[in-house]
Amino acid sequence: MGGGIFIVFLILVAIIGPHLVQNPDTYNSSLIDPTFSRPIGPWGGISLAHPLGVEPVTGRDMLARVVVGTQYSLLIGFLATVLAVIIGVFFGIIAGYFGGWVDAVIARAMDVFLAFPLLVFAIALIGVIPNSAWGLSGNTLRVFLLVFVIGFFAWPYMGRIIRGQVISLREREFVDAARSIGARGPYILFRELLPNLVAPILVYSTLLIPTNILFEAALDYLGVGLVPPTPSWGQMLSNAVSNGFYYIDPMFMVIPGVAIFITVMAFNLFGDGLRDALDPRTR
Amino acid sequence: MKRSRSLAIVTGALVAGLALAACSSSSPGTTGGGGSTGGTTSGKASFDAGLTTVVNPSTKTGGTLTYGVAATPDSFDPGNTYYAWVLDLNRLWSTPLLTYKSCPGACGDTLAPGIATGLGQVSDKGLVWTYHIKQGLKFEDGSPITAADVKYAVERTYDRSVMDNGPTYFEAILADPKYPGPYKDPKGNLTSITTPDAYTIQFHLLAPFPDFDYVVGAFSQTAPVEPSKDTGSNYQLHPQSTGPYMFSSYSVNKQLVLVPNPNWTQNEDPQAKQLASKIVVNLNMNAQDLDNRLMAGDVDIDAQGIGVQAAARAKILSNPSLKTDADAVPGNREWFTYINTKVAPLNNLACRQAVEYAANKTDLQTAWGGPYAGGAIATTLLLPGMGGYTPFDLYNAKTQPTGDLTAAKTALATCGHPNGFTIGASYRSDRPAETSAAQALQASLARVGITLQLHGYPSGSYYSTFAGAPNYVHQHNLGILFGGWSPDWPDGYGMMDELVNGNTIVPTGNTNIGELNDPAINSLFAKTTNPALTLAQRNAIYGQIDHMAMSDATILPNVYATNLIYRNPAATNVYAYSPYGMYNYAVIGASS
Repeated sequence: MGGGIFIVFLILVAIIGPHLVQNPDTYNSSLIDPTFSRPIGPWGGISLAHPLGVEPVTGRDMLARVVVGTQYSLLIGFLATVLAVIIGVFFGIIAGYFGGWVDAVIARAMDVFLAFPLLVFAIALIGVIPNSAWGLSGNTLRVFLLVFVIGFFAWPYMGRIIRGQVISLREREFVDAARSIGARGPYILFRELLPNLVAPILVYSTLLIPTNILFEAALDYLGVGLVPPTPSWGQMLSNAVSNGFYYIDPMFMVIPGVAIFITVMAFNLFGDGLRDALDPRTR
Repeated sequence: MKRSRSLAIVTGALVAGLALAACSSSSPGTTGGGGSTGGTTSGKASFDAGLTTVVNPSTKTGGTLTYGVAATPDSFDPGNTYYAWVLDLNRLWSTPLLTYKSCPGACGDTLAPGIATGLGQVSDKGLVWTYHIKQGLKFEDGSPITAADVKYAVERTYDRSVMDNGPTYFEAILADPKYPGPYKDPKGNLTSITTPDAYTIQFHLLAPFPDFDYVVGAFSQTAPVEPSKDTGSNYQLHPQSTGPYMFSSYSVNKQLVLVPNPNWTQNEDPQAKQLASKIVVNLNMNAQDLDNRLMAGDVDIDAQGIGVQAAARAKILSNPSLKTDADAVPGNREWFTYINTKVAPLNNLACRQAVEYAANKTDLQTAWGGPYAGGAIATTLLLPGMGGYTPFDLYNAKTQPTGDLTAAKTALATCGHPNGFTIGASYRSDRPAETSAAQALQASLARVGITLQLHGYPSGSYYSTFAGAPNYVHQHNLGILFGGWSPDWPDGYGMMDELVNGNTIVPTGNTNIGELNDPAINSLFAKTTNPALTLAQRNAIYGQIDHMAMSDATILPNVYATNLIYRNPAATNVYAYSPYGMYNYAVIGASS
């Protein structure tokens, strides 16, 4: 349950953290050696005022940027997962229960989504959308887009699992019983089957969150993420690599890298623990 | 015309190699390449020695010279290239009518005869330019070079379906703009070029164009092409050499091998040298790998000339023995920020001045790469060393490099926004340094209450669809727009006409992005086309335009770009060459 404790900690950081740290967009040019564009001092300019050092070129506080980055990473990770779960459960349950041609259509659709060159498509899609659309603009629009793209393409994983579960559940006696007293499709689907699916939904949602956080970081890394100067882990990594800063200031790459690493690991451990607790058969 | 060419250099050569990461800046004293005029002073290797002197001067022949490039050329066809580094390399296998003088620093900005006997002779009120061609010159296959071959070389550039990369000055300036080119119209002929005899060629212009010598000399489009050897778009696989070297083998976008051209004579082409017995150009290398090979001595020169990456920069600048073999070469380019004169409230001069004053020039410089890898803080449009350049500083960039906030607030009050305003800002999001610069400007303007809303765009369509489309700019309220400029040739016209001349504003592909339409400036540009003016008089006008454009506050200069370039200590005759902003590839040898 170490993972769970850490997740609670992360959520607290995301909610309270931004109010405690410095302004992540404040420049500290005096802390930068302009000749090399890197922070003055060892370990990326770590000091009392800047416990994780400062960013190369700008001198912005790394702690502040990592903390505010947590907020965006978790927000997008959670919302994208919620979207994927809603779509996935809805279609999975329908495909599994009705079978036949409905199942065939939905299952093939899921195959198509799984076979999609997702990253390429996401880059293209986010690339062509202007800076303001549907009454949204700037970062709000980007967050919305990222959630949509990530969630919309992650649903088949959830859908397949739910479909498999429903196929085995629909033959069970309590479903037959409900049917024999005259219950219709929707009632059986959402009142009889869904409550029995809570365990796998919870477990796989938890496991989907880290995947989505990683995917968001990857999109940020590829330059189609949030709008600068909004801090994000993927953007920091991207900046470190594309400008060659990992050579002259390794801490600039290590810090967001570690943040992604422990966050993803915490969610994975938590998900595994949850599965063990809720689904004893997999032990 | 100038537009597309300059853009090609900026977007192509620069973008191709993460340009921003590689730009380096030199100290203000060295930017501009010093004042050497004679050109052949020589010196020992030391940091920045290549800016004013020839490093390792030698006439020894033999050895293999190896270039590396972390990009691919637009084309090695002399008629079909716009990249500065390809034009520089082209001088090894193509000699145009005129070429830049081979000497260090600003001396290289002057033109010298190539296959012509001298500069153009102007007649008919500036409408006819006549060049005489040296007799006895030969192509690599031994056939003689005549005026008809030069005429054919220009004719073929008219077919944009075959020759789609090169500049289009001839189509815009010569009197026969509708000619479709020899591929589509083999029987026709470009009537605006005449060849009274086999060694005389005359260009007939639509209107006087005093910089015509630069049109002829700044590019390799007037290098003669034998009609019988022309293979259209495949000609780049083996152009018939008229320079010191000829193609031995070329594997497209991988490797070019050059060997000495037996039909070239040093006496007829003093601007080039034939020293190395073999020249190898390795293309499309990984940038980090190239830097490591340079420092290990496997590669002599990075031909792209945009400088080393951040990792190699740190190694070179912190190691005195490596630093000796490097130069912070002025890149013949300026990075700046347009301030649009049509988007409210920046249509008010005082509001634009507030931006000029409030910008933190030091942070911008650091964003572009710092004093060695970005450039010296810029205060003018003309680059130091250019004709007409005078150092002036209207917005206290030198005295208060972190921004003059008092003056900025006064200006804001004058323009009626004492608490600042909100405005859109555009930059190319696939360019790391430009992204950095946009954020630096955002942070510094926030100090006086000016809020920038950043909009990143892909560099491929930045000029065609976004910042270069005035309609888009107005609709999206983009008042601050990042950009850069490499002049096609080193004078005030090449540098400023496309940036601040009101007549150059176009609906798409616009480069006067500030949309400055100042009648006083426009009429000064018109004045420069008077063929009666001397060079000094024209340069004086360019100096005036520079000052007026800065007073109009339509451009916030960031840095005069410099590139930190490493040279192999074994390479000979190495020096920075002002017109291309990199070393002069026509004269480098491999053996000392």
